[in-house]
Amino acid sequence: MTATELDIAAERDRFPEVFRGQGWPRRALMAGVIAYLFYLMWLFDFSRVFGGLPKAWTILRLMLDWTGFAGWDHAELWRSMLETIAMAYLGSVLAVVFAAPLGFLGARNLIPGRIFHFVTRRLFDGLRGLDQLIWALVFVRAMGLGPVAGIMAIAVVETGVLAKLFAEAVETIDRGQVDGIGATGGGFVARVRFGVLPQVLPTMIGQTLYTIEANTREATILGLVGAGGIGLRLSERIQINAWDQVAYSIVLILISVAAIDTISRFLRLRLIGEA
Amino acid sequence: MEISPPAPGVQMEQDDPLLQLLDLTRRFGDTCAVDHVSLSIADGEMIGIIGRSGAGKSTLLRMIGRLTDPSEGRILYNGDDVTALRGQALRQWRARTAMIFQQFNLVNRLDVLTNVMCGRLFAIPVARVLLAWFTPAERALAIRALDRLGLAGFAMKRADTLSGGQQQRVAIARALMQQPRIVLADEPVASLDPLNAKLVMDALADINRRDGMTVLVNLHTLDIARSYCRRIIGMSGGHIVFDGSPAALDDRALHKIYGQPAGEAPDDPPAVTNYRPALAQ
Ligand SMILES: Nc1ncnc2c1ncn2[C@@H]1O[C@H](COP(=O)(O)OP(=O)(O)O)[C@@H](O)[C@H]1O
Ligand SMILES: [Mg+2]
Repeated sequence: MTATELDIAAERDRFPEVFRGQGWPRRALMAGVIAYLFYLMWLFDFSRVFGGLPKAWTILRLMLDWTGFAGWDHAELWRSMLETIAMAYLGSVLAVVFAAPLGFLGARNLIPGRIFHFVTRRLFDGLRGLDQLIWALVFVRAMGLGPVAGIMAIAVVETGVLAKLFAEAVETIDRGQVDGIGATGGGFVARVRFGVLPQVLPTMIGQTLYTIEANTREATILGLVGAGGIGLRLSERIQINAWDQVAYSIVLILISVAAIDTISRFLRLRLIGEA
Repeated sequence: MEISPPAPGVQMEQDDPLLQLLDLTRRFGDTCAVDHVSLSIADGEMIGIIGRSGAGKSTLLRMIGRLTDPSEGRILYNGDDVTALRGQALRQWRARTAMIFQQFNLVNRLDVLTNVMCGRLFAIPVARVLLAWFTPAERALAIRALDRLGLAGFAMKRADTLSGGQQQRVAIARALMQQPRIVLADEPVASLDPLNAKLVMDALADINRRDGMTVLVNLHTLDIARSYCRRIIGMSGGHIVFDGSPAALDDRALHKIYGQPAGEAPDDPPAVTNYRPALAQ
């Protein structure tokens, strides 16, 4: 059966839903979306991508040429890499220290009170509302170049993130277990320590490990705005076109991130029995 | 720390009850869960409370254990009013009245021994509570309680790896750690198979007989109430509609309790009380 034999109009009458959405308005919309894309590419002079390809190729070649390896300042690069890891670790730990009590305070089932709850939640939102990079810029201004600014940026944002996650974990606990502790005559501290904490600890540990993991990646970016670590070295070397060392730094970062991920997965498995 | 149960058989005089409920009432909005209940309970009794689900059994026990606040009425313990206790005094009262729940309410992720030691949290200073630091004396007491219930071998196991019957007996061990005067068991065997139900009921009967603890137990199986309790209280619609010996529990009484002329309890499932006081209370 060919299309000419088909009585299209008859089928359309019988099964209108099959032919729906095939009309001109829809096609015009699609055309508009595509036209807008091309307009934007023209607007941003997208042809540069192709003009830049030879240069990108040169950079790539330079990156792969490690003949100067022996002459690089390995000590500085490695120290910076460790500095980045330390920033992520310290920032995250500080965040946990603040987020744990805040998370318990922000849990609706633990501390009733709409207004109090509203205020704590908005506080958490406020802390994590701004990107770490912005906080880093602020702290670099306040505390000068170096890792302290980066640590503070991580600590502030992650306090907001973790406090919210912790509070939500507390809100999903099984009340019966807490009730059981309360019925023995346990006070507020006893109920939280023995009724609530055991239930939320695995979640808290998992989220903390993930935070350290993610911030090892994030911390490299913080370095780019002067907040210490390998990112700072990276931007210096990009500026002097030392592409071989840029590549080397990137390799260092990739190895570190992979190592932290592995350690974190191992710890997760050991501590809470899930990867 | 020394377990010193009152010597078995030593009973208060009949007109001087251990526990007295006077017009005890609890309303939840429009429903009157417990409606002007008055009751005298002597030291060392083991009382079974029966009734359809929704009759008010759980609310009654929870009020006695001061986990739910009464709307009206009073609770007297040896003549002292405990209805309005607050703070430290309230926690002492809760420790003195151990609660056993249908769903065990153990802390799943903690080991059995720690769960049992939780029965002494009321007596432990806050700093030690925070550090989860228990003394050798507390450990010894806990393992002794577990051993008595035949569960010493499970001390280091995580609570949620145990069967329901074992978990309920751990809950009883935790209750023993409180060294309570009164044990309130809310449908303790409703989620258990007959064999485990017997083990748990035997354990409750044992602490009643040997330690002289007063036991109030909500039951929805009539024959269990009959074989374990010398006094049975029937509730219906928040009222006490029967109070007497198993022998007095005839068809007429059953009809008043269950609202149907059968000799057997209706098999509607017992209400699981989901409503709980705020954790902060
Ligand atoms: N926290 C509560 N909020 C509202 N209603 C409740 C609450 N607790 C119990 N009730 C109601 O009170 C009545 C008695 O409940 P309950 O004491 O659990 O009965 P039982 O234990 O005999 O099944 C039921 O109608 C129940 O729905
Ligand atoms: Mg009930």
